Amino acid sequence: MPDLGPLPSPARAAAPRHASRDQRGSWIPTGGMIATRFMELRKRRGLMVALILVTIGIPAVFLLIRLLLHAFAPHSYGPAGGYDIYTGLVAGVLYVFGFIVAATLGCTAGSIDLSEGMFRHLVVTGRSRLALYLARIPAGLAIIVPLVAIGFTVVCAVCVFAAPTQLNYQGVHVPTGLSRTGFESWAADHPDPVICDFPYNGPITANEPCGGPGGGPGEGPGGVIVKGPPGTSVSVQPTPAMTRAQAVRIARQDYSDYARTFLYPSTSLMIRTGLWLELEAIVGFIVGLGLGSLLGQRTVGVIMMIVLEIILTPILSRAHIPHLVNLQRAVVGLAVAHLEPSGLGFVFGGGGGPGGGQGTSRLVPETTTVAVCIIVAWLVGWTVLGAWRMMTRDA
Amino acid sequence: MTSTSFAEASPNQSFENQWAVETHGLTKRFGENVAVNGVELLVPRGCAFGYLGPNGAGKTTLIRVLLGLTHADSGTMSLLGFPVPKHRAAALARVGAIVDEPRFHGHLTGRQNLQLLAAAREPAARDRIGPALERVGILHRADDRVSKYSMGMRQRLGVAACLIGDPQLLVLDEPMNGLDPAGMHEMRDMILSLVAEGRTVVLSSHLLDEVERTCDAVAIVDRGKIIRQGPISELLAGATVVLQVDCSEPHRARALLEATTIGAAIEVSPPGLGITLPAGTGREVVAEINRVLVEGAISVYRLQEIQASLESWFLSVTSRLGASE
Repeated sequence: MPDLGPLPSPARAAAPRHASRDQRGSWIPTGGMIATRFMELRKRRGLMVALILVTIGIPAVFLLIRLLLHAFAPHSYGPAGGYDIYTGLVAGVLYVFGFIVAATLGCTAGSIDLSEGMFRHLVVTGRSRLALYLARIPAGLAIIVPLVAIGFTVVCAVCVFAAPTQLNYQGVHVPTGLSRTGFESWAADHPDPVICDFPYNGPITANEPCGGPGGGPGEGPGGVIVKGPPGTSVSVQPTPAMTRAQAVRIARQDYSDYARTFLYPSTSLMIRTGLWLELEAIVGFIVGLGLGSLLGQRTVGVIMMIVLEIILTPILSRAHIPHLVNLQRAVVGLAVAHLEPSGLGFVFGGGGGPGGGQGTSRLVPETTTVAVCIIVAWLVGWTVLGAWRMMTRDA
Repeated sequence: MTSTSFAEASPNQSFENQWAVETHGLTKRFGENVAVNGVELLVPRGCAFGYLGPNGAGKTTLIRVLLGLTHADSGTMSLLGFPVPKHRAAALARVGAIVDEPRFHGHLTGRQNLQLLAAAREPAARDRIGPALERVGILHRADDRVSKYSMGMRQRLGVAACLIGDPQLLVLDEPMNGLDPAGMHEMRDMILSLVAEGRTVVLSSHLLDEVERTCDAVAIVDRGKIIRQGPISELLAGATVVLQVDCSEPHRARALLEATTIGAAIEVSPPGLGITLPAGTGREVVAEINRVLVEGAISVYRLQEIQASLESWFLSVTSRLGASE
């Protein structure tokens, strides 16, 4: 060990002046603390690989397989992207896995100094323990937010650029983006599929055959199509002009539903979805951080977060328990689900799809204000708990 | 050593306090077990101070209490004149410490670990990383991951972590652990060089020989209590004197000496006698022993005073404590 003499600064430097300048008693973390904490988390190769695989890899591989299948067998496999794929991936994959990876990162950030023996080194610096805790929040978010954004961007890109070229409305290929008049004109030109396949609430009389032998649900006897409420009887043989008029009436009634059906998600929906996914990831990270700090270990915290997200929250989202309604409302996963942008499916499985509002309508009723309050309460509550434990824990 | 009242002193006033570490009635319990029992410790500035005790004596617990890693149940303490925990941040701004074995993030390099710690210190700490790594002799391995470091290298990295704060007080808990003899020698030299710069080094250890070679003053702790403290030279002056006498007819020599009034404990240990004299025994007593033996027609081949070592003194002190209890 070479003795290279004293350090550049003298041993008896004026400690109080230095101490007052560096403000290490302040609870506000410095930029350097955040940057080095970010580095510490980013350098965890195994964790980073797992986070990237889950947030980016899973949707990317799924979409890549769909792209390949469609490229090689376009008649058997539909386009890789599109609106339905988008809603399915966002509500079924990115939402749940984004939360879990964020929680894993949070539990790691909250407990790893302690388990690796670094915590006491940090405490001995004299830096406020609260500042040490708070530095982890921006550092962790600087990792998880971009990861979720990249994964989501991949989904958006594929769903937009590899979307179907024709709109599939009620099983019928319809041109996209038609105005009401255009939609009615198109219906007049294609009365057969409109009358046979489009939903309509009212009596229909037409002489168009639908389906094969045995017919569809609207096929009446003798090739006469009867569509409408039970008990409706039609005996008039319509002319082609009447058939076209009938198709226009059906199109007029279905236009609002058609107008909500897209080839690919709109920019507005993608922005709202992205923000919503980021909110879910932020909640997962902050709660995981607090839980990790509280428990002092990562594994149990991660397991608890997975159980919360994959088991408890879906159960509580489906079961309406009268005596526990308020408890159900207090679950953060349900509160975030209430903020789901309209147009996505039900986040805890079971499909959904276009139409908007179908996801949240299954949840326990809750106003947006209450949902926001619950989310804020979880964020603040877990931050306080985690910071308190860090400040009072023996190092 | 005298105590200084510091309870009401402001940080600036107390900065010139003569004690680097000062505790009064410091107590820390873990359930029924009293790990630190009313410790009154005074560590002068600018010296190497040994904190000695057997395993489980409460050495590390006291250090953890001093550094704010755990709270004290009662008592007062100050570091560099700053009462803690009231002025903990100001006090720890000039303290560096290794507690237990130095552990770091294994996936980061030594330099990156120091960057993490420097960021929690004052801005100037970042500039001290390179010199600190160079001083402890691991600059050439600074960019290797710590998981590849040996125990000795981690000890050195721990010292470097202390040095980036340009500390006035270093608290090193068992710093020789894991070091080979050459490493121990280098560590000892470095501690002495740190003291030569005017820093205070508190060295907690059970390696009495190392402490004796390195430290100017010591405190002996046993079962959570400090039983002796002061400069080593003063403490050893109060130790018993042991004479080794090589002579003919050791049994008859023993009988002759026991018949006198010199008050020694005498054991026959071939090829002669081992004579333990009370502390403070003068040279005339040694001459009297020689005279008694010669007049008794005992051939004296060698008469040697064995220098009391810190180890023998420590063992005698702790064994007396154990016997009294």
